[in-house]
Amino acid sequence: MKLALASSPASVESAPKQPAIQVSNLSIVFDSNRGQTIAVDRVSFDVAPGEFVCIAGPSGCGKSTLLNTIAGLEVPFEGDILVEGSRVYSPRPDVGMVFQQPHLFPWKSVRRNIAHGPRMLGKSRTEANAIADDLIAMVGLKRFADAYPNTLSGGMQQRVAIARALANQPRVLLMDEPFGALDAQTRAVMQDNLLELRDRIKATIVFVTHDIDEAIVLADRVLIMSAGPGRILREVAVKLPRPRSSYVMVEPTYLSLKKDCLDVIRAEGLRAFNQSDAS
Amino acid sequence: MQDGTSARQEIALRTGGRGRRPDSARLRRLNILVGALSLPLFVGLWELVSRSGAVNMVLFPPPTVVAAAVLEWIRSGQFLGDLLASLFRVTTGFIVGGVLGILLGILTGQFPVMSSLLSPLFHILRPIPPIAFVPIVILWFGLSEAGKLFLVVWGVFFTVWLSTHIGVQKVDRGLIRAALMLGTPRRQMLQEIVLLGALPYIVVGLRTAVSISFYTLVAAELAGTFAGIVYRIEIAQQNLQTGQVMGGLAALGLVSFIADRLFSALAERTVWWR
Ligand SMILES: Nc1ncnc2c1ncn2[C@@H]1O[C@H](COP(=O)(O)OP(=O)(O)O)[C@@H](O)[C@H]1O
Ligand SMILES: [Mg+2]
Repeated sequence: MKLALASSPASVESAPKQPAIQVSNLSIVFDSNRGQTIAVDRVSFDVAPGEFVCIAGPSGCGKSTLLNTIAGLEVPFEGDILVEGSRVYSPRPDVGMVFQQPHLFPWKSVRRNIAHGPRMLGKSRTEANAIADDLIAMVGLKRFADAYPNTLSGGMQQRVAIARALANQPRVLLMDEPFGALDAQTRAVMQDNLLELRDRIKATIVFVTHDIDEAIVLADRVLIMSAGPGRILREVAVKLPRPRSSYVMVEPTYLSLKKDCLDVIRAEGLRAFNQSDAS
Repeated sequence: MQDGTSARQEIALRTGGRGRRPDSARLRRLNILVGALSLPLFVGLWELVSRSGAVNMVLFPPPTVVAAAVLEWIRSGQFLGDLLASLFRVTTGFIVGGVLGILLGILTGQFPVMSSLLSPLFHILRPIPPIAFVPIVILWFGLSEAGKLFLVVWGVFFTVWLSTHIGVQKVDRGLIRAALMLGTPRRQMLQEIVLLGALPYIVVGLRTAVSISFYTLVAAELAGTFAGIVYRIEIAQQNLQTGQVMGGLAALGLVSFIADRLFSALAERTVWWR
């Protein structure tokens, strides 16, 4: 791996067990004309290098805000975020992001979209195209290398977006409900693709979803969030074997994990309901 | 929605007799026929009415007289001079106004300070029809070519400025975030994302400006000059050469039609990813 990293490699070597991501006491408050919204409320968690963590919670609970903040897209915030040992102030090339919408550059072909990152980091066109072609093969879009995004289906667009995010060989990959806009069938295929990809790349992945099934199928660990203000309710370790596919959903271990998660969500739902009833 | 319907219609038309709407192929052929007859029918009717004696032939000359006047115009060599003078005004005015419009549109679209400074002024000036500036242009520039250019530039500028401004502002924030995450430096955002994102809007603005540049050309040449298609129309009118007047109108229509078609062909290629 010929990785040119923004953070100094020396510090990584001297502390090999350091978490890939450390979030401590993170709060994010939005000011609007209708007052303040606490989007994220004193959230703390660590992600180990190479770990696949899913953050699951209802829509509006602050998942995107949390992820954007780790990405360096949302400032200011209270608390502390360390990625690969260094503080986050702004987007950085060793952190990749896949959004819910593919956000592909419509004027660039699939290859050029994927080559964009390496180009911006100073690679030659030939080098960047070679990186792009490898990734195109990896996500199974060889026939579409020269196609423009508007000619691709939603699933294919999202695969391009994933390949594009991987082109800079990020240490950390953040994914914000990347399959949320896809139909159920495509979504299952994409989950399997991602599981396969994940075994080949070495990135730490934080994957946000509102779908508890998706979270358990993909993750090593699921963080369950509550709505308004966003807090982490519980961590559930997913001790399902890898390599994995969406078939794990038929296993008994899977069902008991899902029951654990649903219990947490249900208890929180009841609490919120009673609270709103009382007020 | 609309695309879907038209595509379906097209399939129905193509499958013709075998399709579910057996009449559509025949209907289409009839439409083409009627379309091809439209102009000859109109010209023929015009010729008949003019020569019937029901109208004054001097004021309403038949097409044959108009054609003769146009031929004479071309043979005398004046046509080429008029055409070039008008085309020169339209193209230089279009280019200058277009470039200024794009530059300032990017400035106001991209930088809120520039927008606060300039947009109120532009929004007040924009709705004033360029023709209303003819009197003051004559005061400022006399009958010089600069005055003509000013009018065309004025007309083109505001349209292009507004569409560029809107285009820049409408650039998808998601694209900018994606570009940031891929290591695109903020100072390169303009060339990498914003300009291309705004391009479809800019092209639409420029296309509208093509016809506007011809409107303002009319005002510019009526304000007094020594050559040009509209100038020729005005001179012919003063000499009661109605045939020449109509020939001039036809020439103007044809030139602006061709300009519009050329530009739209060009525009389609500019937004290459559509
Ligand atoms: N830019 C913003 N300004 C004000 N409020 C915001 C902004 N972005 C998000 N919010 C609010 O923060 C909360 C969390 O939003 P978000 O992170 O998008 O949730 P999720 O991704 O879990 O659906 C919501 O209540 C939302 O209305
Ligand atoms: Mg979200």
